Amino acid sequence: MSAQPVIETQALSKVFGNQKALDAVSVAVAPGAIGLLGPNGAGKTTFIKCLLQLQPITSGSAKLLGREVGAEGREIRKRVGYTPELDCHIPGMAGCEYVTYCAQLCGLPFQAARQRAHEMLDYVGMGQERYRKIDTYSTGMKQRLKLAQAIVHDPEIVFLDEPANGLDPKGQAQILELVQNLWRAYGITVVLSSHMLADVEQICEQIIIIARGRVLVHDSLANLKARRRGSAEVVVAGRHEDLQAACARRQWPCELLPSGHLKVAHGSPSLNPLLSLLDEIHLAPLEIIPSPNALEEAFIQALEISHAAP
Amino acid sequence: MPLHDISYKHWHGLRLGVWRRRAAIAKNGLSACLQVRWMMNLVVLCWGLGLAAAAILFLVGQLLVDDSAVSQWVATFVNPLASSLAKNLTSWLKDHPEISVSSAQNVLFYYLGLWLMRVSIFALGPIIPLLITRDLACNAIVIYSSKAVTRGDYLLGKFATVFGFLALTWLGPVCASWILGNLLAPDWSFFWHARVALENILIYGLISMAVLSVLALGVSASSANAKSTTALWFTWWILGAVIEPIALHTSPWLRHLGFGFDINQIALHCFRVGENLTVAQKEIPFLDHIRPDTIAALNSPQLTGTVLALTVMIAAAVWIILQRVKPE
Repeated sequence: MSAQPVIETQALSKVFGNQKALDAVSVAVAPGAIGLLGPNGAGKTTFIKCLLQLQPITSGSAKLLGREVGAEGREIRKRVGYTPELDCHIPGMAGCEYVTYCAQLCGLPFQAARQRAHEMLDYVGMGQERYRKIDTYSTGMKQRLKLAQAIVHDPEIVFLDEPANGLDPKGQAQILELVQNLWRAYGITVVLSSHMLADVEQICEQIIIIARGRVLVHDSLANLKARRRGSAEVVVAGRHEDLQAACARRQWPCELLPSGHLKVAHGSPSLNPLLSLLDEIHLAPLEIIPSPNALEEAFIQALEISHAAP
Repeated sequence: MPLHDISYKHWHGLRLGVWRRRAAIAKNGLSACLQVRWMMNLVVLCWGLGLAAAAILFLVGQLLVDDSAVSQWVATFVNPLASSLAKNLTSWLKDHPEISVSSAQNVLFYYLGLWLMRVSIFALGPIIPLLITRDLACNAIVIYSSKAVTRGDYLLGKFATVFGFLALTWLGPVCASWILGNLLAPDWSFFWHARVALENILIYGLISMAVLSVLALGVSASSANAKSTTALWFTWWILGAVIEPIALHTSPWLRHLGFGFDINQIALHCFRVGENLTVAQKEIPFLDHIRPDTIAALNSPQLTGTVLALTVMIAAAVWIILQRVKPE
């Protein structure tokens, strides 16, 4: 993460009435595929909207692509793409007209805008339906169109707010593949906002987990996946006492769970010490469930925080 | 398998400035307006009225020419007496160019402007939902706000849309009529004598179009429902027209609630129709029958009230626009 940050915030806060949507968010995010993860209502969309100046910032400061948000909005947005979560289109326009118009709004001359619009519609996999009115599009087509309008002006960074919402599994996979390629193949920084851990895990290299307007975790996916608590649940057919006694000899806390599993705190990121112990006492486990990695734990924590009473 | 390359390509061209982006908004809006059913017919009607006015100017010009084709045609096909009447009128008109050209064109373009304004206000009804209403209903404001345009750019583009549309249905036909009418005149000096009429057309047209554009945007931003905004526009216009004659004898200030009345007052002030008619009445005997109260009404535009009323209306419209047109 040594590259110049594309997003920098300092104590960024956004308040709606009594509700703190963002609570002193301070992050410095390097270019890449960035996953903005959190349950619904965590503040992901508000964070993006504050960066794009779609929402005024209550306090704190933010920089996008090295420019101060609030002072250079028009210049920033020239280099930024955005797909909103909700349907936002201009009715009465055909798909290709709409994307052309969006390119013109970013300063592309008409001829270039029209050519780029067709290229981007090809890229997102839209065929002849591009000539139909947007009002007649299915959810999948609208999602593709939103992606096309977000990248038509060749942005340096693109914010995708729940881009796979409402799509069938095949459509989701296609959209996520397109998004993944934007960074991996073409070097466009992608900020993917989602409440689906699997989506983010699939394409992102950096993860920011938000809950109740606060950043819980900001780290690389690799680090988060490698980090685990040194504990595991062991499922054995019998001889619980032997395992508990062996753990006691090694001074490993061991607890019998209501499910009948034994939770062993072996204290190592690897399962090898636990496997050696089981080998020593000649006990063959039915199953060993490692503790969740830091990413899963943080996500579960975010869910718990969001579900807690306000 | 696609026959052409469908991979992502970077774009390295030069980006256009903000005025071109505003122009793109205006052009897009204008083309959407002209796609409304019957709108092209209304535009053609407006230009037709402009051509009719040019034809009238041509006929008036022909009266100033001795033995013109028109007077010969009148003598041959209508009545020889009418021809001798026209000859007398010709000699009189030549002595009074300020009436025959300047005043005549002032009065003609006042009435042409008045009729075209009515057609334009009518045409704005179905167009109003296409300005801001539709964008509010479909969250399109978010798309605009996420592009390289600000709220000000968006509103300027929308303003230019209405202004451009009014130029097409109002100022355009009037100016074209002035140019064509004077081109067909028997003498180039007509352009000189008619210059005041053109100045009046431009001053009145530009002010009124700007006012109407802001009011139309205000009504368009007042709701996300297309039927509501169209209904509001027509109700305001018709109610104003209905109140006008009633309020004249009860509470005259109420007339200012209708924007049509206020715009007409601007026209009266610019064209000085009352003054022109008074001068003409003194010189032309057959204008005697115009009633003095009609002349008086045309002579004294309620300018202070009009300016005040339009200022309040514009302020209200701007307030509504700024309240409603936000990214969220």
